Amino acid sequence: MDKKSAKGYLYLLPSMIIMICFTIYPLIRAIVMSFLGDYSIINGSYKSIGFDNYKALFADPDFAMSLKNTTIYVVCVVPVSIMLSLIIAVLINSCKKTKALFQTIYFLPYVTSVIAIGIVWRWMFNSNYGLINFMLGLIGIEPIQWLNLPQYAMPALIIFAIWKSMAFNILIFLAGLQTIPEDLYRAARIDSTPKFRVFTKITVPQLAPMIVYSSVIGMIGAFKVYNEVFSLFQGKAGPANKAMTIVYYIYDKFYNSYKYGVAAAGSVVLFIIILIFTRVQLRVTGGNKK
Amino acid sequence: MKLKKFGAGVLAMAMAASMMVGCGETAPATTEAPAETPATEAPATTEATTEAAATEEAPAAEAKSIEATEITFWHAMNGNLETVLTQITDEFNANNEYGIKVTLVNQGAYGDLQTKLQASAAADALPDLAQAYNNWLTPYIDKVVKLDDFVATDFDNWDDIVSAYRDECSEFGFIHAVPYNKSTYVLFYNKTMFDELGIEVPQTWADVEAAAKTVMDSKNIAFIGYDDLAGAVEASLHQNGSDYVDATGALFNDEKGLETCEYLSNLYNNGYARLVGEDGYFSNVLSNQMIASYIGSSAGVSYIKAEGWDLGVAPIPGNVAKAANMAGTNIVMFSQDSNKQLAAWEYLKYITSTDAVVEWAVGTGYLPIRTSAYETDAYKAYMDENVCAKACYEQSKDFFFSPTFDASNDIRSTVPSTVEQLVYDKADAQKWLDTIVEAINAQY
Amino acid sequence: MNNKRNIGNIIGTVLKFAVLILGSVFTILPFVWMISSSLKTPSELVAIPPALFPETPQWVNYKEAWAAAPFARYFVNTLIVTLCTTCGVLVTTVLSAFAFSRLNFPGKKTVFSLFLATLMIPGEMLIITNYETIIKLKWIDSYKAMIVPWISSAFYIYLLTRFFMQVPESLYLAAKVDKCSDFKYMIKIMVPMNKSAIFSIAILNIISSWNAFLWPLLVTNSQEMRVLSNGLVRFQTEAGSSTELIMAASCMLVMPIIIIYLFLRKYIIEGVTRSGLKG
Repeated sequence: MDKKSAKGYLYLLPSMIIMICFTIYPLIRAIVMSFLGDYSIINGSYKSIGFDNYKALFADPDFAMSLKNTTIYVVCVVPVSIMLSLIIAVLINSCKKTKALFQTIYFLPYVTSVIAIGIVWRWMFNSNYGLINFMLGLIGIEPIQWLNLPQYAMPALIIFAIWKSMAFNILIFLAGLQTIPEDLYRAARIDSTPKFRVFTKITVPQLAPMIVYSSVIGMIGAFKVYNEVFSLFQGKAGPANKAMTIVYYIYDKFYNSYKYGVAAAGSVVLFIIILIFTRVQLRVTGGNKK
Repeated sequence: MKLKKFGAGVLAMAMAASMMVGCGETAPATTEAPAETPATEAPATTEATTEAAATEEAPAAEAKSIEATEITFWHAMNGNLETVLTQITDEFNANNEYGIKVTLVNQGAYGDLQTKLQASAAADALPDLAQAYNNWLTPYIDKVVKLDDFVATDFDNWDDIVSAYRDECSEFGFIHAVPYNKSTYVLFYNKTMFDELGIEVPQTWADVEAAAKTVMDSKNIAFIGYDDLAGAVEASLHQNGSDYVDATGALFNDEKGLETCEYLSNLYNNGYARLVGEDGYFSNVLSNQMIASYIGSSAGVSYIKAEGWDLGVAPIPGNVAKAANMAGTNIVMFSQDSNKQLAAWEYLKYITSTDAVVEWAVGTGYLPIRTSAYETDAYKAYMDENVCAKACYEQSKDFFFSPTFDASNDIRSTVPSTVEQLVYDKADAQKWLDTIVEAINAQY
Repeated sequence: MNNKRNIGNIIGTVLKFAVLILGSVFTILPFVWMISSSLKTPSELVAIPPALFPETPQWVNYKEAWAAAPFARYFVNTLIVTLCTTCGVLVTTVLSAFAFSRLNFPGKKTVFSLFLATLMIPGEMLIITNYETIIKLKWIDSYKAMIVPWISSAFYIYLLTRFFMQVPESLYLAAKVDKCSDFKYMIKIMVPMNKSAIFSIAILNIISSWNAFLWPLLVTNSQEMRVLSNGLVRFQTEAGSSTELIMAASCMLVMPIIIIYLFLRKYIIEGVTRSGLKG
């Protein structure tokens, strides 16, 4: 290794050490575990080597449901959150005096722990004494059994998640907006370009790296959704498990059922799914070129 | 190619790890100073001399020779429960003749304690003592200390422990635990509403159905609910003289099982029973007078806010038999060191002594684990004041516990969602039976 | 013509503020609800219809919540862990992002992909193995155990690399011509130019380590080492939970971080305006 490449790795060394110890090593262990039938994490014993865990996984209707729910969740939360955040960020950025105020307000959801704010949302969603139905009632909408009926479990979860995830996106977009050279806008102003055109022709392309980042990070995070479910449904996966997500499934298999191999197989499958989606997404958005 | 990279990664990791071990110091041994020593009936003389006695003279210690040591006890008791546990433990620490010091470690809620015990079992770092449910222990049951010898040689009267608790604590073929914070499911009801509608406390399923109809007709609300659906199915089967599950599969795919499903499905399909849903626990629902009664853990009584109405508590109704779920954890021992085992056993003996049990039960509302504790004046006085304790006592002969085996955790997590789905589908009894049996048998 | 545009502008401004204010209400409502719930009585919490504010604020909830655990000690621990983790994260992140964005070395792309791939692992799977590692290192019940595993984050490295890449390459080449060392260039040019991004990362990390719950609970045993979020479970049992106390404790957990945010936000905006000059 020449001096130049050694330097590159020297800069990477601190993060690599930590990552290898606390991420890569446990990951390898999980991958190995996923191929061991009836593996016991306590004494390392196992009964078979092969694809038994994967077979059990794909034969389990709960896992199929968790796959479906997670996909719905990702497809709903990520794009909606990014689009809304983009609009809000641009609007905030165009304010002068009130910019700081709005920036602070819109970032608040990121500040709290999901666990704590999930409890608040649970109370807000309550069909009888919740604020949401109370307000819907003011505009003449019948109370909705948000957390009681299986069909509303996912919508409730998605609303909560969008609320929670917008803050991060807005922060990133606002930071990104600062890096757009003022000259571009000045030129547009002189040409009196319509605002919507400025938005699509200057703002969005200039923000592209941040949008790619937010959507990749948002998607990865959304695939791993767990805390939101746990806190919104009091540690359960919604009525009749209708809000069961992949990580919830994995967690339940690992910590409650002690099916370590199946849980590990589930996380490997999740890993592969995210990997594929990220690849596709980076290819579509061209984010990989840089 | 990928593998090569991973290999290199593992190597680097191993290097890094050994590096870090080199400079890692041992964790500071923190000693927890008890915040307050509550004034109790403990004799002042022993209190002052224990430390000295343990190391210098220790006349009783000769017989048993336990060296002064520190015992860690992981628990999940929060709020007032923790206060009382700390109080009892402080008494032991101050008064035991061997200089044993028990350190209580709060590990959060039950779920957190379960996770931590599991992780610690894997890392071989289990505490000396811990609260645990039987079903947590399956992966690491061989790390649990067998207590049979201790019970046989050094326990005043094991038969004094309520028999259902003894059975539960020897479920794995040996005595693996000592029962401690035990509760049971009881029927909480709105006494004011019952009186107003002229309803008697239901004793049987038929009573429940009749009362439910009255409530539905006049108030248009559900009569009953179950905090724990899996527990409700299990208890109802027992009440109908049927078994639930064992290590081979579901045991109720028969006429009795169908009758049970008929009872439950009718309750739900007629609106006589409802699911807890968003409220999580029925305590809120009952507080709000939106249900007439519910079956839940006696430990939850403090969460019922009876404002503008009176709370009643009764044993849960039965059918051909009575059956009531037990809940709450037992204390298991993990210490491998024989001196620590002896010391931990001293502590267990202390906190399960009749006096300490009464103190614990009166302070927390948990049930006494000893028959003799029920006979004490202190607990009798408590029962006179406390309707919940009285109801629990009345049904203590009907206790049963949920068996633990390989599939039991999966069954516990699958039955509630299965039942919920059946309720949403308004399924008939046969569908209930078939679906639940199928869901259970799929877990083996 | 001019007039028409003015009217258009006014309508645009009104519309803009209408959207922003409506969004603000939606954003802020759960917090208002949290604060008001923390001051309610248990029966007010379940009142129908819901009351936005309690009749008489139950400050006693805070007193009770505060007394339930040694929160002062928790607070100090949380502060220590959060600050150390954040400093560590900033150092490793800046170094790595610089390497990925400016330095050339063989295998860079692969390593970057590997870093990115670590993001895709559900953390729940790693916990037990990491716990065993901590036990083997004898780090149980120490600050190290709560800090070290978290001082590197692929998430922030990826973010900062994106920002670093926005800085024109020409600046780097110019610095090279001036014989400016890589390290000096990183500290003197890259870091100041991306101040706002770095402050954002600091804030994101402060928040996540402030709220970390399961890991601190797992790797600590004594009350002296626990953190604030561990106090939240004090009010939950298997048979019910005291929501008003949880809300009070949540407020106590959230308020310091909001204050820290307000404080740091000033610097973000400052950093933003300065970096707007583009060097």
